[in-house]
Amino acid sequence: MAVVDRIEHLEELWLERPGGLGWLTTVDHKRIGILYFWTTIVFFAAGGTEALLMRTQLAQPDQTVVSPETYDQLMTMHGVTMIFFFIIPMTTGAFGNYLVPLMIGARDMAFPRLNALSYWIFLGSGIFMYSSFLVGQAPNAGWFDYVPLALRQYDGGLNIDFYALGLIFSGVASTAGALNLIVTIFKLRAPGMSWNRMPLFCFALLAASLSLIFALPALTVDCVFLELQRKLGFHFFDVAHGGDPLLWQHLFWIFGHPEVYIIVLPAFGIATSIIPTFARRRMVAFPLVAMAELLVAFIGFGVWAHHMFATGLTTTTLVFFAAASMMVVVPSTIQIYAWLMTVNLGTPDFRAPLMFIGGFIIFFVLGGLSGIMFAAVPFDQATTDTYFVVAHFHFIIFGAAVFPLLGGIYYWFPKVTGRMYDEQLARWSFWLTFVGTSLTFFPMHIVGLLGMTRRVYTYRHGLGWDAYNLVETIGGFILAAGLLLIAFNIVRSLRSGEPAGRDPFYGGTLEWTIPSPPPHYNFAVIPTVSSPYPNWDEPDREEDLRRLAQGELVLDGGHETPATTVNDAELAEILDMPPESPWPIVLSLVVTIAAFFLLTEHYVTAAFFLSLAVLALAGWHAAEPDTLPVRTARSKGWWGAVVFVATEATLFGTIVGTYIYLRLQNAHWPPPNVPKPPVLTPTLLTAALVLTSIPMYIASRAAGEGRRATAWRAITVAFVVQLAYLIWQVHDFVHTVHVYDPQQSAWASVFVTLLGADHLHVLAGVLFSAWFVLRIRSRLTRYRIVGLQGTAFYWHAVNVITAVVLVVQLSTRL
Amino acid sequence: MTRATLLVPPLVLALAGCGGNQNTLNPAGHPERSITQLFWVMFGVAIVGFGLIMFLLFLGWVRREQPNLPGGRGERTAVQIVLGFGVALPIVLLIALFIWSDFFVMRSTAAPAKGSTALTIKVIGHQWWWEVRYGNSTAVTANEIHIPVGTRVGVVLTTVDVIHSFWVPELNRKVDTIPGTENRLLLIADHPGVYRGQCAEFCGLQHANMAVEVIAEPKPQFDAWLAHNARPAARGNTLFAQNCSGCHEIRGTPARADVGPDLTHFASRRTIAAVTLPNTPQNLREWLRDPQHVKPGNRMPNLELGNADWTALQRYVESLR
Repeated sequence: MAVVDRIEHLEELWLERPGGLGWLTTVDHKRIGILYFWTTIVFFAAGGTEALLMRTQLAQPDQTVVSPETYDQLMTMHGVTMIFFFIIPMTTGAFGNYLVPLMIGARDMAFPRLNALSYWIFLGSGIFMYSSFLVGQAPNAGWFDYVPLALRQYDGGLNIDFYALGLIFSGVASTAGALNLIVTIFKLRAPGMSWNRMPLFCFALLAASLSLIFALPALTVDCVFLELQRKLGFHFFDVAHGGDPLLWQHLFWIFGHPEVYIIVLPAFGIATSIIPTFARRRMVAFPLVAMAELLVAFIGFGVWAHHMFATGLTTTTLVFFAAASMMVVVPSTIQIYAWLMTVNLGTPDFRAPLMFIGGFIIFFVLGGLSGIMFAAVPFDQATTDTYFVVAHFHFIIFGAAVFPLLGGIYYWFPKVTGRMYDEQLARWSFWLTFVGTSLTFFPMHIVGLLGMTRRVYTYRHGLGWDAYNLVETIGGFILAAGLLLIAFNIVRSLRSGEPAGRDPFYGGTLEWTIPSPPPHYNFAVIPTVSSPYPNWDEPDREEDLRRLAQGELVLDGGHETPATTVNDAELAEILDMPPESPWPIVLSLVVTIAAFFLLTEHYVTAAFFLSLAVLALAGWHAAEPDTLPVRTARSKGWWGAVVFVATEATLFGTIVGTYIYLRLQNAHWPPPNVPKPPVLTPTLLTAALVLTSIPMYIASRAAGEGRRATAWRAITVAFVVQLAYLIWQVHDFVHTVHVYDPQQSAWASVFVTLLGADHLHVLAGVLFSAWFVLRIRSRLTRYRIVGLQGTAFYWHAVNVITAVVLVVQLSTRL
Repeated sequence: MTRATLLVPPLVLALAGCGGNQNTLNPAGHPERSITQLFWVMFGVAIVGFGLIMFLLFLGWVRREQPNLPGGRGERTAVQIVLGFGVALPIVLLIALFIWSDFFVMRSTAAPAKGSTALTIKVIGHQWWWEVRYGNSTAVTANEIHIPVGTRVGVVLTTVDVIHSFWVPELNRKVDTIPGTENRLLLIADHPGVYRGQCAEFCGLQHANMAVEVIAEPKPQFDAWLAHNARPAARGNTLFAQNCSGCHEIRGTPARADVGPDLTHFASRRTIAAVTLPNTPQNLREWLRDPQHVKPGNRMPNLELGNADWTALQRYVESLR
C-alpha cells in the first residue's frame, strides 16, 4: 500500500459525522478541546463584564451604579466564573485536551467518551450556575461562601443553592477531566517516551490533574454539607448543635489552596513550552523543573490554613502553616530562574508568545513577592481581606495564570487552525494587556495598605483611596481593550491569516511534527521518541517516514492507538478506541435537569432523572468495540478505576476527618440523649460484604484468563450477597434515621451522611455487579473484561470504606 | 525614625503620610508599628529580588543574539544560578523572615492574656454595626470605642450573627469574630486621636458600611466619658417607645430591646449608622426618615410618621447626650 493510500484509509477510519450534529456526538479530543475553548471564552467574557461593572461602581466613592445586592452577586459570580468556569476548563479542558495527546504521540485521550461527558457536564453546570441571574438570585456570599452568612437564616433565597449544587456538579466534570488526563499521560505515551522524555507541559498538567483528584472531594463534601444543612436542616456549621463555622473554611481551603496551584501549574507548563521554542534551546535544569512542578502540587496541600490566619487559630497552628507556606516558594523560584537562564542561554526571538511569557514572569514575581509577605503571619493578619490581597492574587491568577494562556493562544493558534495570527496586532495586544493589568492591579496594593477592605460595594471619600480606584478602573478598561484586540486578531486570522504550515516556530514537541490543523487521527504513524524535544531529533523523524512507507505502526485496523507501560513507555497493547457517541450529551442533559429539580426541592423527580442517567450509562456501555479478549493487566481501565477510587477514598476521608474534627470540639459525642448505634447486625453485615471481595477477585482473575463460566458464577455469588446487604442496610437506615435525627445534632448529621454516602457507593457497586452478571453470561469481550476488573477494584475499595464506616460506628461505644 | 524606614525610597514614604486615618503605614501603637516595620523591610528585600529578576530578563533581551551568559559562560553556570538564586538564597531569606516575623513580630501583636490589661472592652459584631461594652461599667455604646491613651486595652470579640472581622489598621492587626468563640486583641494608642476601622470579613449587604472609630484620649477625659456613658438617660419619650423600642435600648426608660444599638447617649456620638454619616442634625433627619436609602438593606425599617412627629422624635434623640 502506498503512503497516500494509508493516509486516506486513516482519514476514513477516523472521520466523524459531518455538520453540527457531529459536534454534539464527537469524542475527538481536538474537537472537544475546541468546544471547551469557545465555551470558556464566553464565560471569560461574562466574568470580565462582571469585573468591569464592579470597577465602574468603584471608580469613585459613594456611587450607585449598581445596588449592594447586585454588587454582591457580581463579585461572587466573578470569582466563581473565573475559577471554575474559565481557568480550570480552559487549562485542563481546552489546552490539556487538545495538546496532551498531541504532545505524547497519542491519537486520543484514554477515555474519549468520558472526555465528551466532562465537557457536556461542564457546560450543563455553567448553564445551571448562570441561570441564577435569570431569577435574580445569583450566588452572593463571595466565592468562598463563608458560613454562617451562607446559611438559610442569613441568605434565604436560592442564591447559595445555585452555588453549592453548581459546584458539586462542575466538580464532577473537573474530576472526570483530571482522571482522563492522568490515565492518558500514564498509559498512552508513545513508545519510547519514558518519564524523562515527557514534555514539561504534560508534567504540569499531570501535577494539576493529580491535585484536582485529591482536592475537589473536600469542596464537594463541603457543598454537600451546606446543602444538607440548608435544605434538610442538618447541622454541620452551627455551634448551637455541635457544629463549627470554621469547618466550612477548613474544608473549603483544603480544596482552595491546591486550587491555586491547579490554576497556575498549566500556566507554568505553557511557559516551559513557549520559552524553549523561541529561545531555540532546551530548558535549563529540565529534571529540576519537572520535580518542582510536582512538588508545588504536593506542598500545596499543606498550606490551606494560611487563608485563615485571622480566625484566631492557635499559635502552633499559625507557625506550622506559615513555615509550610514559605516552603512552597522554593519550587517556584527554581522555575523562575530556569526560565530566565533558558532565555539567557538561548537566542530568544521576542515574538508575541514570548512577550506574554515575559509579562507572565514579571507579574508572577510581583505576585510571588507579595505572596511571601503573607507567610509572615502578623503582616497577613494586618492585610488579609484588604485590597492588598486582591492585588496579590490577581497578579497570580491574572498575571501568572492568564498571561501564559494568552501567549499560548497565539503560540498554538497556527497549529489548531493552520493559519498565522497577525504578529503586529499581537504585539499591540500584549502592550495593552500588560499596561492594563499593571494599572488595574498594582494600585490595589497601595489602597490595601491604606486600609481599603475587599468586597465593599462602595467606600467613603476622604480616606485617600479615590485616585487609586479611578486609576484601577481606567486600567480595567485598557485591559479589556487589549483582550478584545486578541479576540479580534483570532477571529480575523481565522479567515484571512497566512497559511501557517506544519511548524512555523520550529517547536520542539510532537505536535509540531504533524500537519496544521492536525488530522483526525493526529499521527499517520506512531512517532519515534528519544528525547523531550522529538521534533528537533531529525533521525527520529526520518524513522517515522520510513515506518510510514513500510506500514509499521500505522495502526489502521480501526480506531487504534498504542498503550504503553507506565514507567518506561514500552509498547504494551494496541487499543481500539470508541467512535463517536450520543450518550455523553444525553447523560449530561438528564443530570442537568436533575440538578434543577434538586434546586427546587423536587427530590422524587430529581431521583427519576438520575435513574434515567443510569439507563443512559447502560446505553453507553452496551455499544462496545468488538475486539477479542486479550490477557490484560493494569490496562487503562484499571488505572481509571485506581484514580476514581483515589478520589472517592479522599471523599470518605474528608467525611471521617469531619467526624473526628467535630468530635474534638464536642464534650458529648454522640450527644447523651441519642441511642447508640447497634453493634451486632452491622458487624455481621459488613463482614459478609467484605467477604464478597473473594468472589470479586476470582471473577476478575478468571475473566482475565478467559474462563467465562467461572467468572460468571463468582460474580453472581458476589452480586447476591451485595444485593442482600444493600437491602438490609437501606431498610435499617430508613428506620433508624429518625432515631438518630440529624436535625438535632452535628453528630447525627455527620454519622447519617457517612452511612448514606457508603450506602450510595454500595448501590453503585450493586448496579455494576448486576451489569456484569448480565453481560458476561453469554460472552466475554475485552471491553467487558476490563470493565469487570475495574468493578472488582472498585468493590475492594468500597469494602474497605464500609469497614472503616463500621469502625466509626463502633467507636461510639468507646 | 527607625532604621527600617530609612531603607525606603522617599516617594513611597510619602504614602505613610497620605490617606485618612485607616492607614497601615501610619502606625499609632507598638503592635502595628512592628508590623509596619516588617512590611518596609520585606518591601526593601522584595525590590532587590524583583530588580535581580528584571535584570536577568533584561539581559536575556539585550544579549538575545548571544547563546551564552556574559563571559561566555554556559549551562554549568546557568544551573549553578538556578540552584544558588532559586534554592539556596530563598531558603536563607525565608528562614530569616520566618524567625523574625513568626516569633518576634507575632509576640508584639499577640492577644493579651486574660486579665493582663487594666481595661477590657467587649466588642460584639452585628449585621452591620459594632456593639461596645465596657467591663466593670454599665456603659454601652456602638461603633465608637473610647480608650485611654498609652494604656494596654484588651478587646474581647464575639458576634451575634455571621463572621465579621475587627480591624483598626493604625493600632493593630485584625481578628475575626467567630460564632461560639471569643477572640482577643490588644489595642494601644500612643497619642490621642481618632482611628478608623472597618469590618474586614464579608458579612452581607452592608459590609461596606460597617465601620468603627477608636477614640484615644487622655485618661481623665476617658474616665469622665466612661462615667457619663454609664449613666441612664434623663427621660423617656412616648414616640420613641411606640416606634423604636422594639429594637433599641435607652437605659433608664422602658425601651430595652437589643436588636439595634443602645441609644442612651446617642447624641454624644460622632457618627450615625456605623460611621456612615457624621452625626449632624441634617444627616440625622435623613437617616431617621429614610434609613433604607442611606444604607440599603440595613435592619432599620422606614417608618411612616407625620412631619410633626418626625421633628419631635428627632428632637428627643438629639437630647440624648
